[in-house]
Amino acid sequence: MTRLLTEKDVVVARQLPDVLPARAPLTGFIGYCRRNPAIAVGAGLLLLMLFLALAAPLLWTVDPTALAPAKRTRVPSADYWFGTDQLGRDIYSRVIYGARVSLLVGFSVAVLASIAGLAIGLVSGMVRWADSLIMRIIDGMMSIPPILLAVALMALTRGSVQNVIIAITVAEIPRVARLVRGVVLTLREQPYVDAAIAAGTKTPRLIFRHILPNTMAPMSVQATYICASAMIVEAILSFIGAGIPPSVPSWGNIMAEGRTLWQVKPHIILFPAIFLSITVLAVNLLGDGLRDSLDPRMAKRL
Amino acid sequence: MFAFIVRRIIATIPVMAFVALFVFSLLYIAPGDPAAVIAGDQATPQDVERIRQGLGLDRPFLIRFGEWLFNVLRGDLGISIFTSLPVTQLIKQRIEPTVSLMAVTLVLAIGIAVPMGVIAAWKAGSWIDRLAMAVSVTGFSVPVFVVGYLLAYIFALQLDWLPVQGYTPLSQGVWPWFENLILPAITLGFVYIALIARITRASMLEVLQQDYIRTARSKGVSQPSILFVHALKNAAIPIVTVIGIGIALLIGGAVVTESVFAIPGLGRLTVDAILRRDYPVIQGVVLMFSFVYVLINLLVDLIYTLIDPRIRY
Repeated sequence: MTRLLTEKDVVVARQLPDVLPARAPLTGFIGYCRRNPAIAVGAGLLLLMLFLALAAPLLWTVDPTALAPAKRTRVPSADYWFGTDQLGRDIYSRVIYGARVSLLVGFSVAVLASIAGLAIGLVSGMVRWADSLIMRIIDGMMSIPPILLAVALMALTRGSVQNVIIAITVAEIPRVARLVRGVVLTLREQPYVDAAIAAGTKTPRLIFRHILPNTMAPMSVQATYICASAMIVEAILSFIGAGIPPSVPSWGNIMAEGRTLWQVKPHIILFPAIFLSITVLAVNLLGDGLRDSLDPRMAKRL
Repeated sequence: MFAFIVRRIIATIPVMAFVALFVFSLLYIAPGDPAAVIAGDQATPQDVERIRQGLGLDRPFLIRFGEWLFNVLRGDLGISIFTSLPVTQLIKQRIEPTVSLMAVTLVLAIGIAVPMGVIAAWKAGSWIDRLAMAVSVTGFSVPVFVVGYLLAYIFALQLDWLPVQGYTPLSQGVWPWFENLILPAITLGFVYIALIARITRASMLEVLQQDYIRTARSKGVSQPSILFVHALKNAAIPIVTVIGIGIALLIGGAVVTESVFAIPGLGRLTVDAILRRDYPVIQGVVLMFSFVYVLINLLVDLIYTLIDPRIRY
């Protein structure tokens, strides 16, 4: 019944060293992804969309512009993966091509608005007499809701991808300029900038060597948010008929065309909506991740 | 206080003047020939010339701007090209649905977002916090019309709880009016809720770390009272600011939401004007919304002094 303990039953704890070795820090690519999950997920999804956009000519199943009135408003099937629209065009192929327009608009607006905003913000932050004038103009432009500004510009130009990019860029510039000006004004108060001036650094060198590099971190975060917002504004403009011409398959256009049938054929709007939302989510995650890793004090706050 | 309000109102005049100048110059800044674009592809040269004269593009910029500004100050926003009615009259006809939609959205969004942000900050790091922040990121990523169709599909078509589309004036009863506005208001408010909740959480996290909160807790003040009275009051400035700035999102979103839910407001007016290339109407609506936006942010500045008596300009 009762059994005596033998030596075999006694398990001796392994002798541990007095100081445990630190866990090997996560290094390399996997380590970076572990530490910044938001960046990894965002960048991963974005690369996937970029791949779809670039490889669209290889991935489509039915010519995205081919009309097939006999096969209109089909629900998703093996032949038409995402179904067809009211003109019988294949939604899957159109959505794949739509990725090109959205990404092109998002990236172009982010780059153009960043460059223009950076230039205006630098002048405003560095040149005292120009500052108050520029800031009044920026205040005025920021008083016009961005979508309405883009709508007004689009009403005066012919719908094209290029004009959509210009219209959204104009609407986004004030925000970037204001951010850069704020950063420049803070940097100007830094001792190292005073030291550089005391050492006889000329203004252009001061700007390019000491000020500009320090605006890059907040700028890159802002640029991702502009990219996300530009993709949404493009879809909205196309949706209300003030954007990309209807002949170009863009996510906004596909949804605009599905609008009249949304109660009976929701799939026409559903698929481009999913793709657009995932892409914008990816860019937003990337932006949040960048912000947290560039400014650890703000991490997990906002 | 009175002197401060007057000074603050006077300070908005240059901003409004610049908005007017900018909205007016769009006609001249836009690439290409606006008259030809507005006239459309089938227009004869005579049509283009008529529109050019109607818009005053054949006369010098400054003279034209002076006339236009004088008219705007008298409350005359020009004549619609398509309907030949005064733009002011068109705006008056459409203003009730839009104001209703925005008012309901504002109340609903603040009522949801502020408690959401406060609780997320209180339970920072917990699943409630993560859920609230996930909702917030989603809010920034899903376009407003997608939210609209999704809600309408679920709650109106499938569940049949609420009307699908349309608008009932307030004069026909409060409930029919409100019932029609629930789905549009949630749709329009989604991004706004995301924005306010985020800022509320960030601002509350900052305040909750302060010594006086610990003092209140050790005195035995109840948790809701600490959160919603002691802390929220001091976290309010950034929240009120973002509520004011976010009105721009509501104005832009209203254009789309009204199209989705077939609400005959200013947004519909704008969309119809785009399709008909009726520029004077677009110009009038943009100008009016911008002025409203400036006034709301003026109001926000005045609210600062009520929240924090230390603020004196």
